[in-house]
Amino acid sequence: MMTLTLARRESLWGFAFVSPWILGALVFTLLPMAASLVISLTNFDPRYPDAVQAVGLANYQRLLTDPLVLQSLGVTLKFALVMLPLTLAVSLGLAMLVNNPRLLGRSVFRTLFYMPMQIPVVATTIIWQGVLNLHTGWLNFGLGAVGVAGPDWLNSAFWVYPGLSLISLWGTGNMMLIALAGLQSVPTELYEAARIDGAGRWSQFRHVTLPMVSPVLFYNLIIALIGTFQYFTQAYVLTNGRGDPDNATLFFNLNLYREGWRYYDMGYAATLAWLLFVIVLGLTVILFRTRSRWVYEGNTR
Amino acid sequence: MKRTIWRTRLVAGIAALLIAGACTPQAATPSESASTPRPTGALLTAQPSSAGGLTSDGKILVRWFVGLGTGGNPEQLGAESAAVAKCNAADGACTKANIKLALEVYQNDVAYDTLATQIATHNAPDIIGPIGVRALNGFGDQLLDLSKYVQAKTLDTTGIEKNLVDTYVVNGKQIGIPYAVYPSYMYYNKALFKEAGLSEPPHKIGEKYMMPNGSQVDWNWDTVAQIAKILTVDNKGNDASKASFDSKNIVQFGFDFQWTDPRGWATVIGGSGSAVAADGKTAQWPETWKKAIQWYYDRLWKDHTTPTQDYITALAGGNTFQSGKVAMDFSHTWYTCCVYPGDGTTPVKDWNIAVAPISLDGKITAKLHADTMGILSSTVHADAAALAMNFVMTQPDIVVTYGAMPAKAADRKAFFDALDKKFEKLDPTKVDWQVASSMLSYTESVNHEANLPNFLKSDAAIKQLQSDMLTNGTLNIDNRLGDLVKTLQSTFGGG
Repeated sequence: MMTLTLARRESLWGFAFVSPWILGALVFTLLPMAASLVISLTNFDPRYPDAVQAVGLANYQRLLTDPLVLQSLGVTLKFALVMLPLTLAVSLGLAMLVNNPRLLGRSVFRTLFYMPMQIPVVATTIIWQGVLNLHTGWLNFGLGAVGVAGPDWLNSAFWVYPGLSLISLWGTGNMMLIALAGLQSVPTELYEAARIDGAGRWSQFRHVTLPMVSPVLFYNLIIALIGTFQYFTQAYVLTNGRGDPDNATLFFNLNLYREGWRYYDMGYAATLAWLLFVIVLGLTVILFRTRSRWVYEGNTR
Repeated sequence: MKRTIWRTRLVAGIAALLIAGACTPQAATPSESASTPRPTGALLTAQPSSAGGLTSDGKILVRWFVGLGTGGNPEQLGAESAAVAKCNAADGACTKANIKLALEVYQNDVAYDTLATQIATHNAPDIIGPIGVRALNGFGDQLLDLSKYVQAKTLDTTGIEKNLVDTYVVNGKQIGIPYAVYPSYMYYNKALFKEAGLSEPPHKIGEKYMMPNGSQVDWNWDTVAQIAKILTVDNKGNDASKASFDSKNIVQFGFDFQWTDPRGWATVIGGSGSAVAADGKTAQWPETWKKAIQWYYDRLWKDHTTPTQDYITALAGGNTFQSGKVAMDFSHTWYTCCVYPGDGTTPVKDWNIAVAPISLDGKITAKLHADTMGILSSTVHADAAALAMNFVMTQPDIVVTYGAMPAKAADRKAFFDALDKKFEKLDPTKVDWQVASSMLSYTESVNHEANLPNFLKSDAAIKQLQSDMLTNGTLNIDNRLGDLVKTLQSTFGGG
């Protein structure tokens, strides 16, 4: 009978305990990905399953000439360029605020800032649809009270991005908590040393806080990046899936959804999904490759 | 040491159970358990059949799929299940024909995808419905030609006007039988008319309308535009006919045309027409339709008598007439559902209905919605499906639960009596339902929801026009319609 070494036995037990995840990843992630790759090479329409034909790379060729692909990518990138820095800054700012020992009722504020995360996204969007209404919304009512004519937040191709940003910023509670955890792990002796050396508040933030929380910021950046490229629900609810006004909210995922579930062109929708995967993977790899330049990793740097 | 080993084995065992539990397939929900419908998505799923579409006791299983139109609400499940139970009873029509009718109900937001998935997996149901004309276009070419069943009287069309039956002849195929029809007319808020000192709109075809100055004019869309100005009011009480009217602070609108699309607007305001030429492949937008769209756009952005998107969202979440702040609204019989959605909601209390105004082409056109049921051509038991479908369509409780006006003229009195009963606690003055019946003679020659080549994309392009009109006050309508025709031509060609 073969005797297993201790190391081998420990490996097998570890494998046994992680096997549910492996099985799940295989069944619910890898196999569907493989299926979608196959579907992207066909003209599959679920209403006509017997008429499915292999079309080779025709769907991928269509990607190159479909104006909506570039448009939806442009919309998504534009939103990402606005939202990513804003989300990171706001979440870090809120974290610093609720980490300040001088703030009375810190735990209450932490709870309040996190609470919007508990509301389903669809409900949140419907609420904000009312808040941002041109004629009856609270925001324009408040602006009107101070003599400012509120813009058409939801029907202007320009103002719709700040409008969507407001909706997204309302839900930064999760990232705030993560940033807070990062802030609380910064050793206080570093601040003491900085103060002794004559560093002011801004210098302490720039030379102590930022580097020490940079791993957390990096994590938040990756999550926010993926989230931005998956942006869908808010745009869908606000525009009933049309991407109004004038395709200004036709995010890439919304375009993908329309192709697959409005027009039932599953082959092309699968192709769009693979394009999205490649883009997000590429950006993530770039971020990981460049992290050593701006993420403090302790003694390794 | 022994305790550690046993603890480890216990943990491993629990992990194994979790894995096994995750891998066990879900048991199918039997169709008889209709008493506790699930609140989201699928309300009731059908019992799967064995090979050949037979039940385990050898009966022909006919599956009835509900949810593409009305019928997918939990409160309608009772009547639907009762109809199925009646057919399957020992002396029921289904049992006598060795059929077992099985009901499956899905809420509308998941019904289309569910049906597409079932078709994709070769697990399609037999009967689908109730389903309207538009929804049929998504699956229309997969429906069976019912002509032989109509001729054999298996599907009974006695008492249904021919023009209504013809609504469901598509490319020479009779793909459905109208069992419920929804004519359209003008809903109007009597209180707002009274407040403005205006006469109520006419209830009879050919009647003139009396203007505030006493003159009698044709009841047409220009008249609607004029009185809509008087009925549109800002927050300071100025109406839209006055120079002091503030279009940025409107609290009441004169007219709306809710819950339809540009083809609907154009058909009623402009007259019958089609977005595809007679050859079936050339995109067009008829001249009367161009005028109709321009007319509507002027109401939105020039006169401000019709709510734009922002106001629509603010008024009762899109149900503008029910907000009590819209004086006239052109819609169908099914809209009685939403004038008074039910206990706990705010009803419009003082309303009635008027005939459709004369269209820009000089005729009266009152667009029609009609519900039907159809049989998918993939069925392996077409004869049984037709028999079961006829049974369901002839159950009076089914029509009542759907709020549908019966296609058969003989059944309509009971329908209107039921509506009177529903509204009597709100307003003792009865609604003039003969208006609804009279509008059935003025339906469009080509249904405004008729099929178009590459329908889903073509329909989306038309809806994009609607969205642009409701949100953008700087459109050049001629140019925009030109762009629409180009887009339609591209989608007709498969683009």
